Amino acid sequence: MNERDDIAVDDVFATRAKALFDESVDGLDGETRSRLNRGRQKALAEAATGGFRWMPWAPAGGLAAAAVIAVVIFTGNPQFAELAVPEVATDMEILLTEDSLEMIEDLEFYSWIDFDAEASDNEGPANNVG
Amino acid sequence: MSAYAGSFAVSCVARDRKEVDTLQREARLNRFFADVEKRALRIAEISIRDRDDALDLVQDSMIKLARNYAGRPDAEWTPLFYRILQNRIRDWQRRQAVRNRVMVFVGRGKEDDDYDPIATAPDPAGRAPDEELQNQEAMRGLESAISELPGRQREAFMLRTFEGMDVAGTAAAMGCSEGSVKTHYSRAVHSLRETLGEHWQ
Repeated sequence: MNERDDIAVDDVFATRAKALFDESVDGLDGETRSRLNRGRQKALAEAATGGFRWMPWAPAGGLAAAAVIAVVIFTGNPQFAELAVPEVATDMEILLTEDSLEMIEDLEFYSWIDFDAEASDNEGPANNVG
Repeated sequence: MSAYAGSFAVSCVARDRKEVDTLQREARLNRFFADVEKRALRIAEISIRDRDDALDLVQDSMIKLARNYAGRPDAEWTPLFYRILQNRIRDWQRRQAVRNRVMVFVGRGKEDDDYDPIATAPDPAGRAPDEELQNQEAMRGLESAISELPGRQREAFMLRTFEGMDVAGTAAAMGCSEGSVKTHYSRAVHSLRETLGEHWQ
């Protein structure tokens, strides 16, 4: 098969995959569509109100959750003592940093928006998103 | 008319225009989300194999876009939205890998390993049962093959093929160069063709 044939086969494959995907999208059930609609309305409401709310209790909540989970795991499984501590610490850190990650993300956003306000509106999409 | 009254009138007109602009932008954002949300859900679902969590990720992404980037030009919304969603997906996968490690260690496995999004989907409409079954089987195979791809290849394939984004938009959404997108996409298609075989099509 030469290169042109190969590209043609790729295109046929992609077309077939797209058709199947579209069919699965069309087949989404009513409950799922309803949940999507509710999510969209919530997002639009956030846009209308500005949305950002600082939650001063979030770090404390994260620490409390970390303490509870650590106690449950340490007291509930004797094998835990055999596990390397650095690995456990890293895992727990990743699992329990959702609130702080969100906060850091928003701080990055506010830094970005300060910078962006001075830049031209014709710039491409921001690189540091999500 | 006094200078004060004139100034007040100008101020009111400016405020009304701003309100109209905001309402128009919300209407456009609503149309954008309505257009993109179902495909985004399926893309997220194929990536993480869990519809409930995929719904959460899509909602989070919509909120993030609406909250932080609604003021950006409309043309940027699609790559921005998928950039946010892909970051959410990667973050979910990273957490899930760690969570599974911890759960295995603690002694509890994942309870819904037999989740099957195709089996839970209803009949879309009006096709012969044989054809529908055949297509469901083909999509199931495709989803399984896609889930085996490396992350960047999976992203490139789904954004290009399923969302129909061009190379530049996909590059913006993935945060990489256009050349990388072409490479990831080409490798993904070849890998999928090889996995699914000649008879899949």
